[in-house]
Amino acid sequence: MACTSLSPSNNIINHSFRASTPSRAPTNNRNQLRISAVYATAEVSTQNALQTASFYQVLGIQNGATCQEIKSAYRSLARLLHPDVASSNGADEFMRVHAAYATLSDPEKRAVYDSTLFRRQTTAAGLSSTGFNEMNRRRRTWETDQCW
Amino acid sequence: MAEQAYTVASDSETTAEEKSSIPFPEIAIGIDIGTSQCSVAVWSGSQVELLRNTRNQKLLRSYVTFKDEIPAGGITNQLAHEYEMLSGAAIFNMKRLIGRVDTDPIVHASTSLPFLVQTLNIGVRPFIAALVNNMWRSTTPEEVLAIFLVELRSMAEVQLKRVVRNVVVTVPVSFSRFQLSRIERACAMAGLQVLRLMPEPTAVALLYAQQQNVNDLTISGSEKIAVIFNMGAGFCDVAVTATAGGVSQIKSLAGSTLGGEDILLNTMRYLLPEMESHFSTRGIDEIRKMGILRVATQDAIHKLSFQSNVQIDVDLGNGRKIYKVLDRNGFEEVNKDVFEKCESLIKQCLHDAKVEVGDINDVILVGGCSNIPKLRNILTSVCKQELYTEINTLEAAVRGAALEGAVASGVNDPFGTLDLLTIQATPLSIGVRADGNTFIPIIHQNTTIPARRDMIFTTVHDNQAEALIIVYEGDQNDVEKNHLLGYFKIVGIPPAAKGVPEINVSMDIDASNIVRVYAGVVMPGSRSPAAPLMEVRMPTVDDGHGWCAEALERTHGSSLDLVTVQKKAGH
Repeated sequence: MACTSLSPSNNIINHSFRASTPSRAPTNNRNQLRISAVYATAEVSTQNALQTASFYQVLGIQNGATCQEIKSAYRSLARLLHPDVASSNGADEFMRVHAAYATLSDPEKRAVYDSTLFRRQTTAAGLSSTGFNEMNRRRRTWETDQCW
Repeated sequence: MAEQAYTVASDSETTAEEKSSIPFPEIAIGIDIGTSQCSVAVWSGSQVELLRNTRNQKLLRSYVTFKDEIPAGGITNQLAHEYEMLSGAAIFNMKRLIGRVDTDPIVHASTSLPFLVQTLNIGVRPFIAALVNNMWRSTTPEEVLAIFLVELRSMAEVQLKRVVRNVVVTVPVSFSRFQLSRIERACAMAGLQVLRLMPEPTAVALLYAQQQNVNDLTISGSEKIAVIFNMGAGFCDVAVTATAGGVSQIKSLAGSTLGGEDILLNTMRYLLPEMESHFSTRGIDEIRKMGILRVATQDAIHKLSFQSNVQIDVDLGNGRKIYKVLDRNGFEEVNKDVFEKCESLIKQCLHDAKVEVGDINDVILVGGCSNIPKLRNILTSVCKQELYTEINTLEAAVRGAALEGAVASGVNDPFGTLDLLTIQATPLSIGVRADGNTFIPIIHQNTTIPARRDMIFTTVHDNQAEALIIVYEGDQNDVEKNHLLGYFKIVGIPPAAKGVPEINVSMDIDASNIVRVYAGVVMPGSRSPAAPLMEVRMPTVDDGHGWCAEALERTHGSSLDLVTVQKKAGH
């Protein structure tokens, strides 16, 4: 699911390679732009917005949401975004929602995620105007996804 | 239905592009192709209706007879008597044979059927033939299924007074993707386009979701956990589903090729221990005797569901008679292995779903075997719960498929009856061969689909320029015990020490359950892939695929091997 949280594109090939490289090449924020410049310029803004969204924001719920709230938020979004219902969107949005749900509906994974989320938010505040900020967040999300 | 000719329109497989680009002008029908019985249902605008043949039957026998050279399926054809189906002229159980090779134990078990199933044990498609005027006429399971589907289609078209093209077909959980592709091919041959191939218990889950939705229309309503067990003549399947507000989320699936047919064969073997050798010559007389034994045994098993013992009295001719009294305990003992396997499948499925027995809200038993007392006992004792009674055990799967057909066709129901969604999971892991002869799963079993996962591999030799990606499906550590889906080569890996090039393998299952594998090489420090990426739709293997993996091994040894890259600790 790494790729989903990274880029909301239907272009799967760029997708998977973008997804794989971050863990290994620290300078890869620039790599990605070079690998698919067209794609990056076209979608970079939405992409950033989505990457910075926490799993809670993806599901549209409060950080302290109950398990019941997480489940019903997931179901409501699935009814809107699942490719069986929304055939035009492709699968990416649903996969992102499912990734959020899969982590938050499991108490252990949620605890781990909550601790990284807290760290991420403090880091983000401290480095808000540096170029590293974006990359840092991106990596964090990717690693969290890998845990499950 | 006079015009129903044996027309096989196309042998080409439908692609995802075709599937998604067609705006659905018609409501797809649901088809449950059972090993022994088949049914068709469609959303009528307000509810699901089962279609009937001209003899007013809604459960249609799944067989095709080749009498007088003209094939006729169980829909139009009226059997003079039960034995006609067992005369060798009728091919049945095609669902058990489709997409299997002649080394498969299921194919071996089928050699005692009245029609000809010849095996050479070399990993190719078995030879299947029907007896026509004392001559064995060859056919294939796909062809038989296509002939049957052509009849089914024209039956539906006559009743619905419109062209029928789109279908949702239920399939066993244990089917490999190769077998699924054979079902799709049979449908294509009959001019039918498959919108969805739905694992049988997930179709039941959708029907259950609809029933629950009628009772509780709030999306925030509490989630209900249901265990669904389906056992027909050829297969048994289990699903654990979480349902609320019309959304059925499949948490886990498990399946096996055990079915009523195994119970029947075990019982026949108990009645006539030397059955195999007795019938091996397969003369007209032997086929007739085997038919008599089969019918008598079937009858006895049915009776044992409602009475504690049964008398079996069969005259096989030439002074050979079988007279036995079989009681329920004896029957359960004869089929001990089957029942034990059922129990372990249910437990495994609960375990995989991470569901405790106490969390289960409903236990649903469906399929042709659902009257067997032992099965009912197993289910109620494992789940500590009485069985759900609000469902027709023989129609549940096809009704679910019809609901899915309406939903997938984009039908809106003003009363919200069709505000349904099934979130499917993949029943078998998909991965590649790496680290020697090991199966490395990339998308794991019971992952919610659509899904996409990737993994990095590397070379095992210095200056290795090419690598073979061999894709398997299954859950065994040893690759050979899994189903081979296909293979392709990554070329143009730049010269480097072993372990340096990064070979990225990404797998994608879309909502239509189509698997695509993407692969490419990236050198550390490089900014772009070293060679064009590969995109391969699976499965790519065709018949005789059992040989491919061996042939690859023989020809290339380990020269094109891959190993996994160890993940950094702490991730």
